[in-house]
Amino acid sequence: MTEHSVSFDIASEPVRVLTGALVIEAARLAGVDIQQPCGGQGRCGRCAVQVTEGSVRRRSTLRLSPEDIAAGYALACQSVVEGDVSIAVPPQEKIERRLTTERTAVEVTIPPGYSPAAQPMRRVALTLVPPDRQDQTDDWGRIQTALRQQTGIDAFQISLTLLRRIGAVLRADDWAVTALLEADTWDRPNGPARVVDLWPGHIPDDAPLWGIAVDIGTTTVTLWLVDLMTGAVRAQVAEYNGQIARGEDVISRIIYAGKDSGGLELRDLVLKTINTLIATACKRVQVDPANVIKAAVAGNSTMIHLLLGIPAESIRLAPFVTAVNHIPALQAGVIGLDIHPEATVDCLPGVASYVGADISAGVLSSGLDDAGPVTLFMDVGTNGETVMGNREWLVTCACSAGPAFEGAGVLHGMRATEGAIEEVWINGGTFEPTFRIIGGGKARGVCGSGLIALLAELFLTGVIDRSGNINLKLPTARVRRGEHGPEYVLVWGSETQDGHDIVITRVDIDNLLRAKAAIYAGFTVLAEKVGAPLETAEEVLIGGSFGKYINVEKAVEIGLLPDMPWDRFRFLGNTSVRGAYLALLDRTARARITDIAARMTYIELSADNTFYDAFTSALFLPHTDLARFPTVQAAVASNANASHKSGKGT
Amino acid sequence: MPVEIPKDTWSGSVCTVTLGATTAAGGTRSHTVTVGGHKTLPFMHFEQPMAHRPVIALEIRDRRPDDWSPLLLEVWGNAVDDPASWANAGEKAGADLLVLSLSLTGADGHPTTPEAAVAAVKAVLKASGLPLLVFAPGQADLDNQLLVPVAEATKGERLVLGICEDKNYRTIVATAMANGHLISTRTPMDVNLAKQLNILVRDMGIPADRILMDPTTGALGYGIEYGYSVMERLRLAALQGDGNTQSPMIVTPGAEAWKAKEAKVGQDVPAAWGDWRERAITWETLTAVALIESGADIVVLRHPESLRRVRVASDDLMAVPETI
Repeated sequence: MTEHSVSFDIASEPVRVLTGALVIEAARLAGVDIQQPCGGQGRCGRCAVQVTEGSVRRRSTLRLSPEDIAAGYALACQSVVEGDVSIAVPPQEKIERRLTTERTAVEVTIPPGYSPAAQPMRRVALTLVPPDRQDQTDDWGRIQTALRQQTGIDAFQISLTLLRRIGAVLRADDWAVTALLEADTWDRPNGPARVVDLWPGHIPDDAPLWGIAVDIGTTTVTLWLVDLMTGAVRAQVAEYNGQIARGEDVISRIIYAGKDSGGLELRDLVLKTINTLIATACKRVQVDPANVIKAAVAGNSTMIHLLLGIPAESIRLAPFVTAVNHIPALQAGVIGLDIHPEATVDCLPGVASYVGADISAGVLSSGLDDAGPVTLFMDVGTNGETVMGNREWLVTCACSAGPAFEGAGVLHGMRATEGAIEEVWINGGTFEPTFRIIGGGKARGVCGSGLIALLAELFLTGVIDRSGNINLKLPTARVRRGEHGPEYVLVWGSETQDGHDIVITRVDIDNLLRAKAAIYAGFTVLAEKVGAPLETAEEVLIGGSFGKYINVEKAVEIGLLPDMPWDRFRFLGNTSVRGAYLALLDRTARARITDIAARMTYIELSADNTFYDAFTSALFLPHTDLARFPTVQAAVASNANASHKSGKGT
Repeated sequence: MPVEIPKDTWSGSVCTVTLGATTAAGGTRSHTVTVGGHKTLPFMHFEQPMAHRPVIALEIRDRRPDDWSPLLLEVWGNAVDDPASWANAGEKAGADLLVLSLSLTGADGHPTTPEAAVAAVKAVLKASGLPLLVFAPGQADLDNQLLVPVAEATKGERLVLGICEDKNYRTIVATAMANGHLISTRTPMDVNLAKQLNILVRDMGIPADRILMDPTTGALGYGIEYGYSVMERLRLAALQGDGNTQSPMIVTPGAEAWKAKEAKVGQDVPAAWGDWRERAITWETLTAVALIESGADIVVLRHPESLRRVRVASDDLMAVPETI
């Protein structure tokens, strides 16, 4: 056999290997450390190297784009040396960054051409002529006249609270005053305008004007602090909904709310969560929360009812109707939000009991209502809602998935914040994991995307079977019988923040399986009822608080997403809060949400047993009907093959 | 005018599974029993002949059962104290197969030991030449402890080892494969769950001709219609070519029927219910016959008179009308 020279840019000496050696073997000889999280099975793409001179034979090019290959990239564990070559080893971070492009995160972009005039809140600087013996016009009349002259608007309203302060404000800065005006609301499109507040003196035109967009999820509440003058999001904060301790899903919340003072308690809990978020966001940009003068709120129908203290019982009981879908413009002080008490709170409209404002807002932000081809939009949260359609038609359904993908209801689950494991690889030979932690420090727990990746890896490496049973006979200390039954140790206590092992238990796995099964069953049944096979969807838009970080491939491997070409999926992050943000900034967008809510046809999944059947058959990895997941089947087969070849089969 | 009877043709068929091995094939059975192979729905003789008739297994225990009806204990007499004589009596009563159900505990109240289980299985094999199914008590750890030595001590017999469930199948499947036996799977009355377990066991590499599936049933009046429908749907899926539903089906109408109130309560409660023995046997017979019609390949019974009556009914069903 012939020997070839292999030189690595980061090694001092070239090494000589026989024809047929793998690049990774040459690297080992040269003392070059190349990470192989998947154990050299060509699955993870982390060992990509760049061939700068000569060429190698690539046994597999999984995870390499045609551009990568053209640039000389090859997987070290899958490339065979057949001639002299020079190889550059890119720094690990560079590889990670390259790989993460498949998980396109959507940055918040200000709507193009944004002008503050698109929304109804405005400041008007007034210089009033002081009253005297000749001009004895009252203070309010004086303001109205000035406003009329400056804005061309005829009629104005004012609250009693403000009237009580009006005299003092006008005289505080020598009759120079700034009026905060709300020209219209969704339910008063033609006015009258409302004077929300009056401030002494003139405030510069370009000073920020603060609004908030809020998404009240069953599990997670998200809040954006927005400058209405520029449209820019200045702070994004999120926290678990304080109501979680009173029930994980909407049904148990409604039941809780129906007991004694349960409704009041739940209202207080969510208000506390939102108010804490307001305080946190405002502190971050040094704003007094009292200067926040507008709020747009999205959330499922139950969450909105509970926030407003409206009994939600009828949502739970047949025939499942809400008390209100289109909520009039309300004031923050009445609701109990700690922002300007006179600020308008616009609770966005929902479609039905189980398809709320979060979905109408989500559809708006996904652009589904204006799509040409048939598109699927799914909001993956505690409730899995799916909308299918385009600009001609919109059909929707909802199912309860549980909070697992938001990191709740799982022993070591957490939100996607610092310390959360967000990506996992497991070596198919040793069953040792490699993971990435948000913030890079020590691990605290696992977030939704980490759980999806973990489940997929456990499955592909045979740590769990298709039903989620952990194989306790594997030759690794990481599988064991723990306090909660069989478990897999993802991180040993010595490497975690609190010193305790981070594990995934059989119970966690069951919760994840149920969550993914419910979501998958939801959209498959919807597609079936509409009579449009899933494959007809040219694009699949995914929203949800974990949507920013999810890895398509892993989600397909566990059967959460359908086995379609990866480029059809687009991740939109939290579409609900984004929809609320757009409604906050633009009357037209707000009107479009009303229109969307009216246009959507709701399909009740509990009407027959199709959903239950679909759910049970999805309660499997990836699915009972294996033919629906051909690429996953191929991956499973090739892994089984690989571990068989390396003599590690069980 | 002649009436044309429409005939269905199916793309799939049920697997053929042979239970037991004769001396020539490495076992000690006097003969083997083959089930499955169907190319159409049961007893549709005008479409396709039934490849193999439904067979009747008789359930016996490794020791005198604590919870069986006095009617059963009475009819089997002293045989219930000795698995070998029980097996013998069962064969004489006309059973095609024997199912030996291992007890959770011995008569002393301690968990059944592997030695005792092996001894019982060997005694039954010696006493009767019928192919044998061995069902463990149904507690994962104990099942594995008992079935592995049983499988090893009877290598090559093509016993059926049960019961594989989705939470506990690896050990049983592995030992069945290593020792030339078959397995029986059980799932709680759901088509999808039955398919899933089939996929799980086949993922381990056990060939399809070594798998029986028990889709679980209820007795007459206790959910039989649900069990019937699940079995019918499984069979339709099998005939439509779904490879994960093509195992022959085994069900236990005996165990189910004898749990039913109608079989349990004795004479005169209420009087209108009639003779206890007749009522109990009718319950078991009707449950079994209905399941045979839904596609059961093996029914497991407990009473010899029920066995006789089910045999008569299945013979009738198997008779091909002359007009065809």
